[in-house]
Amino acid sequence: MLKLIAKRLVSLPFVVISITFITFIVGYMAPGDPILAMLGGRTDPAAYERLKHSYGLDQPWQDQYLDYLSGLLRGDLGLSFRFQGRPVADIIASGISVSTALGIAALAGSLVIGIPVGLWAGVHPNSKRDRVSMILMLMLYSIPSFVLIGLLRWINYQFYLRGLPSLPVAGWGRPEHWIMPVIVLASASMGYIARLTRVSMLEVQKQDYIRTAHAKGLYNRRVLWTHALRNAALPILTVIGPSIAFVVTGAFVVENLFSIPGIGFLSVQAIQQRDYPVIQSTTVILALSVLVMNLITDMLYMAVDPRVRVEG
Amino acid sequence: MHDFDKQPGDATKFRLEVGGAAPPKPFNFWRRLRSNPLALVSLTLFAGIVALAVLGPVIYGVSATRPDYASINAFPSADHLLGTDNLGRDTLARLLQGMRVSLIVAVYVEALNIFLGALLGLLAGFYGGLLDVLVTRLADMLFAFPGLLLAILVAAVFGPSVTERFGGIGRLLLVAGSLSLVSWPLMARLVRSRVLVLREQEYVTASRSLGANRPWIMVQHLLPNVFGMVLVASTLDIASVVINEAVLSLLGLGIQPPDPSIGKMITEAMPFLEANGWQVFFPSAALMAIVLTVSFLGDGLRDVADPSAST
Repeated sequence: MLKLIAKRLVSLPFVVISITFITFIVGYMAPGDPILAMLGGRTDPAAYERLKHSYGLDQPWQDQYLDYLSGLLRGDLGLSFRFQGRPVADIIASGISVSTALGIAALAGSLVIGIPVGLWAGVHPNSKRDRVSMILMLMLYSIPSFVLIGLLRWINYQFYLRGLPSLPVAGWGRPEHWIMPVIVLASASMGYIARLTRVSMLEVQKQDYIRTAHAKGLYNRRVLWTHALRNAALPILTVIGPSIAFVVTGAFVVENLFSIPGIGFLSVQAIQQRDYPVIQSTTVILALSVLVMNLITDMLYMAVDPRVRVEG
Repeated sequence: MHDFDKQPGDATKFRLEVGGAAPPKPFNFWRRLRSNPLALVSLTLFAGIVALAVLGPVIYGVSATRPDYASINAFPSADHLLGTDNLGRDTLARLLQGMRVSLIVAVYVEALNIFLGALLGLLAGFYGGLLDVLVTRLADMLFAFPGLLLAILVAAVFGPSVTERFGGIGRLLLVAGSLSLVSWPLMARLVRSRVLVLREQEYVTASRSLGANRPWIMVQHLLPNVFGMVLVASTLDIASVVINEAVLSLLGLGIQPPDPSIGKMITEAMPFLEANGWQVFFPSAALMAIVLTVSFLGDGLRDVADPSAST
């Protein structure tokens, strides 16, 4: 058990270095001279050198990378190109909290709905309700978020035409602003979680101890609640990792189409302003947070189910 | 360890003798395809989509970028079969052009996946050693990024200067290249793991003992056996490439205006959804049609290419 965790922790630095190094190299190779762009028409060599030094761009690339790494450890993400001298961390701090809140809400929503639907479908495999709910979940899983947004907005408008209150389609701050983005963000992972929960439920029902429980004369309901559910719930933990990846990628589309000032919205703004340090930082933050969440879910799973042997 | 490089060539002679009197019926791809309705129907549909994208803009002949100020945000009518967008540009013309862009990007990405992913996976799995370590580590590094993040980063950083220097075609290639960063490692991993199994099979050992050299084994024995898997994987991957291209364009990272792209059409029409829902509906429907057709085609091809792996 401890050995397995140690194994995971050994491979962790490699992944962290991959993420930071690739992100750094892409920014390093970015065409154009950001300092020249910042100074505009003025070409005062002294000012140029001073600015270049303050951004650390006068150093060789390996020093720049080490600086970047040690900065990351201290929570210092470097300086923005667009807003001269302003730290990137300042710019994206508010976005991180917005995106985190949105992501947690979406993940919670997809678990709260996805798991019961999967269990409900898996209790009676190949019944009508199993088929209908699984087709619905497959649709939720496979429909691209921007198509779903169009559909939801259209339904919302139809409600409005019939005199029902209309949900806001852009902005952030009031509780009703959450509803549509959370639905869109949760849908893909909800479909995924529901389908995997169903499979897990089917697997469990094949086990010997379920047959034994039935043979003992227990009521179906009792077998289901005390024997099957508990064991079916275990593998569901593992799907949380991939679900977070869905939510992270989905955040870019959802935040931009609903004008939510989260990290995805800020990075697209930074893209339009060619503010590469901001884009680098958001990429690193998102990739690392997915990595950490994956690690936590894996460890949770190992802690809960001693049979698990994660290879690699 | 094995010195089978020293005697190249003569395997053909032996093969003829070993082959015997009654060789099994050769694997006939088209015959198998014809007897699979799912694959056949989706292949026909896919051919139709490709024909629309290739010939459509030529036959329809309406400019995809010229605005018609007399009708802005118009509903479908005789003048504009699918209506016009908020700048008065013909939606059908833009949609046909956008489908063309989606498919071109998909072709580029799959070509990269096959030449980079499948080839590296094949070589890494077969030769092993340092090459294997390098390929798997590189794939692992790229795998560390969840979803589209790396593609977004690369397209964002290199996009503007590529467009300035090489124009629309360069941008198209950059989009394809950055999308392939997300998918070729997966292809390499798939092919490598299959090759690791295949190279230990008896027929490979037999071929070796008959004096076949390594390139011969790779081309004659391994390539035909991974071909089906590569074909299926790249067909299924087209669906996600089409969606991902739409996402990049939607974020302003893909095809640049005024050139149409399905993703861009959806975002541009979204603010006017309440006034004219058709402009969101048509590109969304076209995108879903492509994605579903390609997914069914991939499933069908899997049944055709590898009936034992059907799930």
